[in-house]
Amino acid sequence: MKRRQFLGGAAAAMAAGRVAGESRRSVTTSACDCAFSPPQAAPPGADAFRGLGSKVRITNLKVFGVSISPTSDRPYVFVKLETNAGLVGWGEATLEGKAGAVMACVNDFRDFVIGSDPVQSEHHWQSMYVHSFYRAGPVMGSAISGIDQAMWDLRGKILGMPVYKLLGGPNDPAGVRGYYIASGRNLDELRALRANAAGQGITCFKGGIPGYYEWIDTNDRITAAVRSIEMLREGLGPDIDIAVDFHAKTSPSVASVIVKEVEPLNLLWVEEPCPPENVKAMARIARRSTTPIATGERLVAAYGCRELIELGVVDILQTDMNHVGGITALWKVAMAAAASGISMAPHGCEGPIGLLASLHLDSAIPNFLIQECCGNIVPQPRDKIWAEWFGFPAMRMVNGKYPLPEKPGLGFDLTEEALSKYPFGGSKPMARVFVQDGSVAEW
Amino acid sequence: MPNPIQVRRARLMAFAPPQAAMPARSNPRLEIASLRDYRLREPVSGRSYTVLRLETRGGLEGYGECPEISARDLAGVLDAVRGTEATQFETLRHRLKNAPYGLMAALNMAMLDVVGRSAQAPVYQVLGGPTRNKCRALAPLEGAADSDLAESARRARAAGFQAFLVPAPAPAARNQGQAFVLAARKRLDTLRQAAGAGTDFVLDCAANLVPGDAASLAAAFERYHLLWLEEPCPPLNLGALKKIATENVTPLGLGRSIQQPSGFQDLLREEAIDILRPDISLTGISQIRQMAAIAESYYVAVAPYHNGGPVASAAALQLAASLPNFFIQQIPFPQAEQDRKMRAAVAGDVETVKDGFAVLPSAPGLGITVNEKALEEYKERTA
Repeated sequence: MKRRQFLGGAAAAMAAGRVAGESRRSVTTSACDCAFSPPQAAPPGADAFRGLGSKVRITNLKVFGVSISPTSDRPYVFVKLETNAGLVGWGEATLEGKAGAVMACVNDFRDFVIGSDPVQSEHHWQSMYVHSFYRAGPVMGSAISGIDQAMWDLRGKILGMPVYKLLGGPNDPAGVRGYYIASGRNLDELRALRANAAGQGITCFKGGIPGYYEWIDTNDRITAAVRSIEMLREGLGPDIDIAVDFHAKTSPSVASVIVKEVEPLNLLWVEEPCPPENVKAMARIARRSTTPIATGERLVAAYGCRELIELGVVDILQTDMNHVGGITALWKVAMAAAASGISMAPHGCEGPIGLLASLHLDSAIPNFLIQECCGNIVPQPRDKIWAEWFGFPAMRMVNGKYPLPEKPGLGFDLTEEALSKYPFGGSKPMARVFVQDGSVAEW
Repeated sequence: MPNPIQVRRARLMAFAPPQAAMPARSNPRLEIASLRDYRLREPVSGRSYTVLRLETRGGLEGYGECPEISARDLAGVLDAVRGTEATQFETLRHRLKNAPYGLMAALNMAMLDVVGRSAQAPVYQVLGGPTRNKCRALAPLEGAADSDLAESARRARAAGFQAFLVPAPAPAARNQGQAFVLAARKRLDTLRQAAGAGTDFVLDCAANLVPGDAASLAAAFERYHLLWLEEPCPPLNLGALKKIATENVTPLGLGRSIQQPSGFQDLLREEAIDILRPDISLTGISQIRQMAAIAESYYVAVAPYHNGGPVASAAALQLAASLPNFFIQQIPFPQAEQDRKMRAAVAGDVETVKDGFAVLPSAPGLGITVNEKALEEYKERTA
């Protein structure tokens, strides 16, 4: 009611502005206080789509910061949309190190969301992205992701289908292939992991490279990196797929040297061999090796992936459900990638909602390779919390695959009460690392 | 003394025991049970198209359309899809990549029709729309002489269209000069006069021109503000297209013969295309959505080509209302009353156009009720 009055008032002010505009005095009454003020700013409400959209309207938007441990650099940011139909939708907007900023950004989209029809997720995605004027970086991308997922959750519930069916799947009713972290620190532990994996049908692990790197690096450090990757292959054996995450610790020069050395290991991929801003720099690494290159977890929207795809730099794209712009954006990335023969291995190292949303999408795209969850073959405390929240062990593989959630929407029920046990502990920065001389290093 | 790490692991394993594998549940009501085709022919124009009818185990029906389906292809595809749930429209699109394009397009429409009906929602809602509340419409004009085309434009305008697809004059020979450009100019002037104020035009070269003539037309119409110049050259003639696109600002529309999303990649990357024109009847809803997703990053929209029947028109409207980067939908507008009557008898008033825009259907699925009696009545009889 209040909103309607507000909009009515705004419309009246706008009309007054148009009249005043004729005498060139409209600027002070315009919506944007700028010379390019739109002559009319129709409310983005559902009225323009009467009879075409659903009758459901979003009545409230809530955002929750959820810290499952006091030191976490990535408190989960969950978005909840409430509707006049009694249905609720959940989404995830977690952004590592920037929880507070994302929560504020989600709230900045309040006017885009309240009063709108949740089935129009594509329309709202466009409005949030385009009408924000400044194109989305990770903060806005994550906020849009959370709202988008919650709208897909609602649409599935309104139409009575799990999201993977709305997306045209599932490709495989048994679920979605995944990998865990290669958690062994030495050959013995890796061999034990291999045996454990064989028993559980796990077919892939991901490891990293030790330490931090400089622009050019020493023989010792490069050799240590190469040895650590060789140890993964030796310990896990020839039948396990191994991905190695360079985490953009390395420069293109250093990455190229290491990647050349490990070429005979036939890795599933080398991930983020350099930072993401300069696509041509990454292309240089890719052209010097046959090892598949994976990247994309820090990119926003299909726009952010265009150059990587065009230049043929990547074999595997890893855009993240919680940053790229939700299901809407991740699907478009997958479609563009598919046309170029690029596979999808969506990144996922945050909370469970975005990961469950990823499973729905993974099961309905033609170029899906494998899904990350940053979990361990041995369940961790976070797995227990997730199971408490949802009533099922989210993101635990069965025979090497994550089972698909079955209920309509994203397929889970979650209560605010369940989350209230883990109150928001505030934003925490991601790790800050430095090399020997004290200068800043990537991790 | 037990190892504390092992104790902790055992405790954690206890709450997340390995589950029995539980495959995702299929909805047997939505499993494809039968496919049937109806080849129709408009009595006067002779335009033909095939309507595909899909029935599920639960008795739900869905319709699609394409130019033609051979009995053998239909039997083969039915074998491959029987028992598949209609929601698996993306799974099938990729799994049956080698099936004939048209048949796959029709199947895609029919599966989405079923999904929408099952959810009691228009297909565009299933796909995240509506993204718009009406659909800009483009009428292809019929006739050879300027006067015939002008008459066609007046009729289409009276029926609500404000944008028209105009065939370029047939070149008398290769490498035309001034006369050809002037003939095209005269044709457009005549039509603009006939159609009245507020009308727009697409000039269709149908890939019939040599690159030089195409370039001459593109240059001649730079300041005429065509919506676009259609198929100045075949889309695989990338070098010629790139030259035309670089030399002139006249927008270029291409792609009625492109059925694979990857077929648009080089056109977009080489900046040789301003509007994607995939044929709705050969490509289907989901395939064009993939094309649109690729084009979006280049700030380019789709405007599906359509020279088929009313079921594909319905599919095209659903597609339009699901896409952000859609501009206009071509909707056939036959001159003959009998042909228009047949289209309406088959699928109702789905092709209603008002003030330049088609009205979006709001009923579930494709939003049409296909009249089976009309399908039988207009079914092409082999002589």
